[in-house]
Amino acid sequence: CRWRALLARPAAALRALRGLAAGPEMHFGFQSVTEEERREKIYQVFESVAKKYDVMNDSMTLGIHRVWKDILMHKMNPCPGTLLLDVAGGTGDIAFRFINYVRSVRERQLQRKLKHHQNLSWQEILENYQKDKFNSLGDSQVVVCDINREMLKVGKQKAQHLGYSEGLSWVLGNAEELPFDDDMFDVYTIAFGIRNVTRIDLALQEAYRVLKPGGRFLCLEFSHVSNPLLSRLYDLYSFQVIPVLGEVIAGDWKSYQYLVESIRRFPPQEELKAMIEDAGFFKVDYENLNFGIVAIHSGFKL
Amino acid sequence: AALRCQHYPPLRALQASAVLRRVSDEHKKEPFTSSSQQHFDSPPAGHQPEQEPQGPRPSYTGQGGQESEDYESEEQLQHRILTAALEFVPEHGWTAEAIAEGAKTLGLSVAAAGMFHSDGSELILHFVSECNAKLSKQLEKEQKLVQLGEAEKKPIDEFLRDAVEARLRMLIPYIEKWPQALSILLLPRNIPSGLTLLTSMIDDIWHYAGDQSTDFNWYTRRAVLTGIYNTTELVMMQDSSPDFEDTWRFLENRVADAMTMSNTASQVQSTGEAVVQGLMGAAVTVSNAETSRAVR
Repeated sequence: CRWRALLARPAAALRALRGLAAGPEMHFGFQSVTEEERREKIYQVFESVAKKYDVMNDSMTLGIHRVWKDILMHKMNPCPGTLLLDVAGGTGDIAFRFINYVRSVRERQLQRKLKHHQNLSWQEILENYQKDKFNSLGDSQVVVCDINREMLKVGKQKAQHLGYSEGLSWVLGNAEELPFDDDMFDVYTIAFGIRNVTRIDLALQEAYRVLKPGGRFLCLEFSHVSNPLLSRLYDLYSFQVIPVLGEVIAGDWKSYQYLVESIRRFPPQEELKAMIEDAGFFKVDYENLNFGIVAIHSGFKL
Repeated sequence: AALRCQHYPPLRALQASAVLRRVSDEHKKEPFTSSSQQHFDSPPAGHQPEQEPQGPRPSYTGQGGQESEDYESEEQLQHRILTAALEFVPEHGWTAEAIAEGAKTLGLSVAAAGMFHSDGSELILHFVSECNAKLSKQLEKEQKLVQLGEAEKKPIDEFLRDAVEARLRMLIPYIEKWPQALSILLLPRNIPSGLTLLTSMIDDIWHYAGDQSTDFNWYTRRAVLTGIYNTTELVMMQDSSPDFEDTWRFLENRVADAMTMSNTASQVQSTGEAVVQGLMGAAVTVSNAETSRAVR
C-alpha cells in the first residue's frame, strides 16, 4: 500500500516538500530547473507524446529499438516462474516481449516433459495436458509500473489489441518510491526510463529494495559513444533529424529536443556502473550495443 | 514508529546482506544485531558493518566496489550455486535452468542464474574441477597408506587402471547428460579451460603413479594416458553393460597395450643398438682385413 510506504519514509516526503519550495538545480535537457519543475516537465513531455510514442521510436531509431529490446530479453533469459517488474514500462514493449519469451520457453519445457512420458496411461496423459494447458506461462508474471497515466493507458490499449491478458498487471507508481513490498521481484528492468528519473540514486535504491536476494537489475539506456567519427554522425542525426521527425510525426518539436538533450546529459557507462554499485548491487557490468549508442547495465542483489 | 514496526519485520532490510553475511557468519561467528532496526531507512542494505557492537573487525568505509571480504563471498556464492545446481542436472541437463533451480534451493531468486553463461559451460567446468579435486584427494590418501606401509604399492598398470576407473565412475550419476557436456566443452570458447583441466588431471595421476621422468618420456606418458582416458570416456558413453563392465575391460586392454608398447619400444631400442654394434664390428673387421692385406 502506498500510504504505508510514505509513512515509513518521512525522509522522502520531506524531500518532496523541499522540492516544491526551491529544490536544487537539476538539468532538463540543456536547461537548468528545480527538481519539482523537472518532474512536472517530464510528466508533460510524456503526456503529450504518449499516443505517438511507439511510432516515434520506430522512426527515430529506424526500428532498431526492437532489436535492442530483444537483446535485453535474451540477456535476461527468464525461465518460467519469474516475476518481472518493468519500471517506466509505459507502453509495455518489454512486458510483451517477456511474455512471449516465457511462453516459448514453457512450450519447450512441456514438449521435453512429454517426450519423457512414454509409458503413461491415457488417464495420466490427459491429466498432464489439462494441468499444463492453463499454465502456459508457468506462473510468470510481469508488473508494468509507470508514473505517467497516459503512457499506461496507451499500454493497456496495446495489450488489449495484441491479446495479452494473462500474467500482466499495470500499476501507477514513481520509480523513486515504488509502491511495492521488499524482496518481491526476481528481475527489475527499466528500459529508456532511468534517464527521465529525477533522482537516479533513489530509483536504484528502490530497485535494490524490491528485488529478492539473488535478483537482477537490468537497465537499457542511451549512453555515450566513444568512437569520434560515429559520435559526430550521431550528434548530427540527433540534433538535426530527430526534432524534425518529432514535429512532422508527433507535432511536438520541443519534446524531442528534450529527448536528445537528455541523452547527452545522462552519465556515461562507467559512471552509471559506479552508481549501481553504490546502491549495493554486485557483479555490475555493462554491454555496449551499437558502439555505445545504447548500453545494457546489469547488477545482482547478492 | 510503532506502525513501522508492525508492518516491517526489523531485519528485512538486511535480508539482502543475509546471504553474504551467512557465508561470513559461518566463518566468523558474527551475531546478527538488532540495532540494524534503526538503520532501516538508510540506503544500501548490503554494507552496514558499523552496527557490530562487539568484534574488533575493521569497519568498512564507502560502498563502492567490493571490499576483499565481500568479494570472496561473491566467488564462494557462485561456487555454492553451482554445487547446488549439480543436483538438478540429471533432470534439466547442463543448462541455465539447472543453475536456476540450484539458486532456488539456496533461497536466491532464479534470476541469479544470469550471473553465469546461458549455455551452462561454467557448470560443467565446475563439475570437472570438483571431480579432479576429489580424485587428487583419493590418490593422496592411497599414497599415504602406502607410505605408512599399510598397503601394497600397486604395479603401474594397475595403478593407472584404478585411477582412471575411479575418475570415470564419478560421471555415472550424470552419464545420461554427459555427451551434452562433452559437446559444450568442445566449443571454441571452452576448449582452453577444458584442456587445462584435463592435462592437470593426467599430470596428477602420473605424479601419484611415481613418474619422475625429466626427458621426453614425460610427454609420451601424458599423451598416452590422455588418449586412454578420452577413448575410455567415449566408450563409457554408449556402454549399456551392468556396472559398465565392458568399459573397464576396454580400459584394462588399453593400459595393457600401453605397457606392451613401452616394453616393445625399449626392446626395439636395444635391438637397434645391438644391430648397430654388430654393423660397426663388421665394418672394423673388414677394414682390418683390408689394411692387413694391403700390408702384405
